[in-house]
Amino acid sequence: MRWRVVKAVARQSFLEFWRSPQAVFWTYGFPLMMAVVLGFAFQSGEPEPVTVGVVDSPVARQRLALLEADPLLKVEWLSVAAADRALGRGRVALTVRWEEAGSREVLRSDPARPEATLARLLVERRMRAASSDDPGYERPVHEIEDRPGSRYIDFLIPGLIGLNLLGAGMWGVGFNLVQMRVGNLLRRIFVTPMRRSEFLAGYLLGRSILVIPEAFAIMAFGVFLWGVPFRGSLLAALVLVIVGGWVFTAIGCLLACRARTTETIGGLMNAVQLPMWVLGGTFFANEGLEGPMRWAAESMPLTHVNRALRDVMLEPGTLLDVWAPIAALALTGALCFTLAMRWFRWQ
Amino acid sequence: MNTAPAIELRGLCKTYTKGREVVRAVDGLDLVVARGEVFGLLGPNGAGKTTTVEICEGLTVPDDGEVRVLGQEWRGGDDAAIRARIGVCLQETKFQEHATVDEVLRLFRACFERGRSVEEAIALVSLEEKRGARQKSLSGGQRQRLAVATALLGNPDLLFLDEPTTGLDPQSRRQLWRVVRDYQEQGGTVLLTTHYMDEAQQLCDRVAIVDQGRVIALGSPAELIRSLGAEHFVVVDLRDPDRAPEDAAFLSLPDVVAIDRRAGRIECTVASVHTALPPLLDMLEQQRVDLDGLTTRHATLEDVFVHLTGRHLREGGGA
Repeated sequence: MRWRVVKAVARQSFLEFWRSPQAVFWTYGFPLMMAVVLGFAFQSGEPEPVTVGVVDSPVARQRLALLEADPLLKVEWLSVAAADRALGRGRVALTVRWEEAGSREVLRSDPARPEATLARLLVERRMRAASSDDPGYERPVHEIEDRPGSRYIDFLIPGLIGLNLLGAGMWGVGFNLVQMRVGNLLRRIFVTPMRRSEFLAGYLLGRSILVIPEAFAIMAFGVFLWGVPFRGSLLAALVLVIVGGWVFTAIGCLLACRARTTETIGGLMNAVQLPMWVLGGTFFANEGLEGPMRWAAESMPLTHVNRALRDVMLEPGTLLDVWAPIAALALTGALCFTLAMRWFRWQ
Repeated sequence: MNTAPAIELRGLCKTYTKGREVVRAVDGLDLVVARGEVFGLLGPNGAGKTTTVEICEGLTVPDDGEVRVLGQEWRGGDDAAIRARIGVCLQETKFQEHATVDEVLRLFRACFERGRSVEEAIALVSLEEKRGARQKSLSGGQRQRLAVATALLGNPDLLFLDEPTTGLDPQSRRQLWRVVRDYQEQGGTVLLTTHYMDEAQQLCDRVAIVDQGRVIALGSPAELIRSLGAEHFVVVDLRDPDRAPEDAAFLSLPDVVAIDRRAGRIECTVASVHTALPPLLDMLEQQRVDLDGLTTRHATLEDVFVHLTGRHLREGGGA
């Protein structure tokens, strides 16, 4: 190997990188920015308590009130149905049932959920500590949640559909638009009588339609392979997928409306997508978040797409049940589209 | 019917900032392109040709000056009406890689209320056999012909071609020239930029030579060449350049108008080869100077540019 050649290539590659402000920003500036933001968000302090649902009954109130004294546990008193629903939607990591004095407590969770084991250990520890002077103490019974609609996979599939809408919508539009700008195709279209609104609306329409089969393929996969229930309205699911596709393609369009290089759009996409991946409620329920994290999660379109999809898949949700998130998502998409149209750069 | 010239430019100026450097790309340029002519903007890279064309196309806003395209001004409230009447072929356009010729043309055809059919456009640029081919399978010449076809779809009154044959092989260039001639025969007007002399001479009714953002010469290719005072060159290569006769010896010969020496080669501008050549050979023999080579050629627009600026077109505009 000729060192002179290696050195020349390395030098040129180094200079090329430093002379591209966008590449420098997204390589160095953005991670530093994220480090600062996430550093503030996850500063050391008290660990977040794990939420458990306790099936409310007079005997349970008597015995299980001790769980409320544990600072690492957050207890929600629920009816049987509400406890099952909360477990299925990931709002509680585990449910505790104690219906009869003298019997053993029943803990119910899906071990596939990351926080379920911790919740189980914390509950058992608390109960064992409270019964330390009882030689006849018996550990609670553990039931694995395997009823369709309440398992982690049931929670995950609607989230994956939401995540797919996010990725396909944003990358499909944003990246392609910038590539068209870089390749002068947008300039070429600009010098025809095509209006900006016609171009963007057509582009978004094409991409929004594309996401429908993708979303339903994941849905069918979940239903037929994993037995994920579909209890709600198919029409509502269809509308949700279309509106979800619309909002994410519109966001992609807004991000791409002025970006000049693929490095810039790549960075912008990551900056917007990464927080949604983490906090958008795909892999774990985000209802339990508090403070700025809760605010951030609630302001994310993915959160509302995921929740509404779970409403129509895991519960008998109809169009009427999810009209509010659908309207909010459609309006968000319209706002992004309007801004994208206003700021759009052809060249 | 609107009989205004196809293009009128008055006092056009455009300045760019590149870092700390301010580049005056167009510097008080005046131009009138008549209807039905093929007009060439000729000049080295950086002369301001593309900026001028982009201003005419409505892609770039000038800092100063007047622009009228087909009698209308850009940003006068009806830009779409101008765009419906012009066809544009940019220096380079990357159509979507997986789109076929037919699909690209359908997309662009949809932009126009009236115009040619996709089939007609394909026939105009002889791409019938490639109709279903994707972009990545097209040659450079085929891609460029497709770009021209998209420009012809709206049946435009005015066609802009920005260096349409750069990088193409001779056959592809000739095919594109034929497309341009056919378009002109049907009454169309063309504004063409090029740095190929032969292209300008072959295609253009009139040519504006542009240098450093200004028009430095304007006329038909024949007129511009005649303006040199002589239309032929006799190029003399000597075996021993150090023994070359003085300029005065050449200039004293009949019909020799000018002398240019470059890298040991002597280029005599002559009014007529058959009258200038015999005395020139006699003079070299009398001075006992041995010839290494002797060629004659017609003057070109390149010679006009060299005559006007002292530089060759390929040397860059210096702007």
